[in-house]
Amino acid sequence: MALRITVDIFSGRPNPVLILEGPEEKEALDRLRPERALRGREARPLPTSTLGYRGLIVEQSGRATRGLPKEFRVANGDVFGEGFAARPADPAFEEFVCGSTGPIRRVHREPDLSEFILKEIKRLDDLRDRWKPGRPDWPRRERCRCAPLYEPDWWNVPAIQPFNNCYNYGCDYRTDTFAQPGRAAGAMYTAFSCASVRPAALADDLMASPSANNRCPREGHLVALVIAPGYDFHWFRKGRNGYWSHKPGSTPVTNVDNSGVTIPDPRTANRGPYTQFCTFMVVMHGHIKIN
Amino acid sequence: MATSRSTSETGWIAGAYVFSGRPDPTWPIPPNIGEALLAIWELLPAVGATAAPPALGYRGVFVHDPEGRIWTAYHDLVTFGGETRRDHECRFERAVLSSAPSGTLPPITAED
Repeated sequence: MALRITVDIFSGRPNPVLILEGPEEKEALDRLRPERALRGREARPLPTSTLGYRGLIVEQSGRATRGLPKEFRVANGDVFGEGFAARPADPAFEEFVCGSTGPIRRVHREPDLSEFILKEIKRLDDLRDRWKPGRPDWPRRERCRCAPLYEPDWWNVPAIQPFNNCYNYGCDYRTDTFAQPGRAAGAMYTAFSCASVRPAALADDLMASPSANNRCPREGHLVALVIAPGYDFHWFRKGRNGYWSHKPGSTPVTNVDNSGVTIPDPRTANRGPYTQFCTFMVVMHGHIKIN
Repeated sequence: MATSRSTSETGWIAGAYVFSGRPDPTWPIPPNIGEALLAIWELLPAVGATAAPPALGYRGVFVHDPEGRIWTAYHDLVTFGGETRRDHECRFERAVLSSAPSGTLPPITAED
């Protein structure tokens, strides 16, 4: 018989593991002896997948001691197993194990580890009070299966880069003519304003999508028109990974804004002089004609 | 206004990387200014750095010589043929910008 205790705390390095046998094992099991079942809020879930201390994982070899699961977790002073939640005889068992005079001193040589773990035990206590169980808040960045790949190496070559601009790149359409909204349709913009460039792009058969709200369309891909009022227009395009990229004029394609950071939403990107966000539009592959 | 697509003429052509949708402004420069720019370049010390202009807005200047060779400059770095040199006083860039005819460059050029 032995008790294997894993201090579940690290992410990269292995967790400390200690084995208690004989009198130590008996003392530990005495301290862990369930006194009463947890009720109501006492039995609320433990925080999962957090960084830092997550409890002691206790495994009993051989037959399980009566009243305790064969494997359980000690956290927040309580004992949790499958369908099991109890207050033990010693709610300070974790501090007993991990304190500077506790069994953990045998398995590590780092002088500050006990202090670190004790702080982490306290942190878990605080975290559990604020923990709201539910579905993990996974990143919501929408992937766009119809959107073009981010392939700067294809665009950033001498035969292509100088002759294709943000409109070419936004539409994923190489013309080598520094394409201008509306020019192919004989309806080129007349001013550097949203009111003038937007209808010019519509004339090229881009589709209005003012309420796209940064969501990928079912077909085609999303582009965004911004304006440097009175001076220029600029287009961004949303890529297959959900992030935006752009080609500033004759200069190379990039996936960062003027702050040098990736672009989850062009409305909030640092756009330099292109201060006016005009609209989202959709490029249907094969439908548009630009020049 | 001339554009970056109209730089195939013989002679020295200067321009600024400033726009995205519309063509960048370009303008011809007299040979003596071109030669002066070349003289500035010859005196600059080489560095291992590369220019890092912002993505949008003013991103530097460029100069084409009659043989089609291209120099670019952004603030204190001038690049030609894959070599970058330090121009502490930004003489090259300032000389190119000051050669632009009045009204050629938009105010946003100066905002960087």
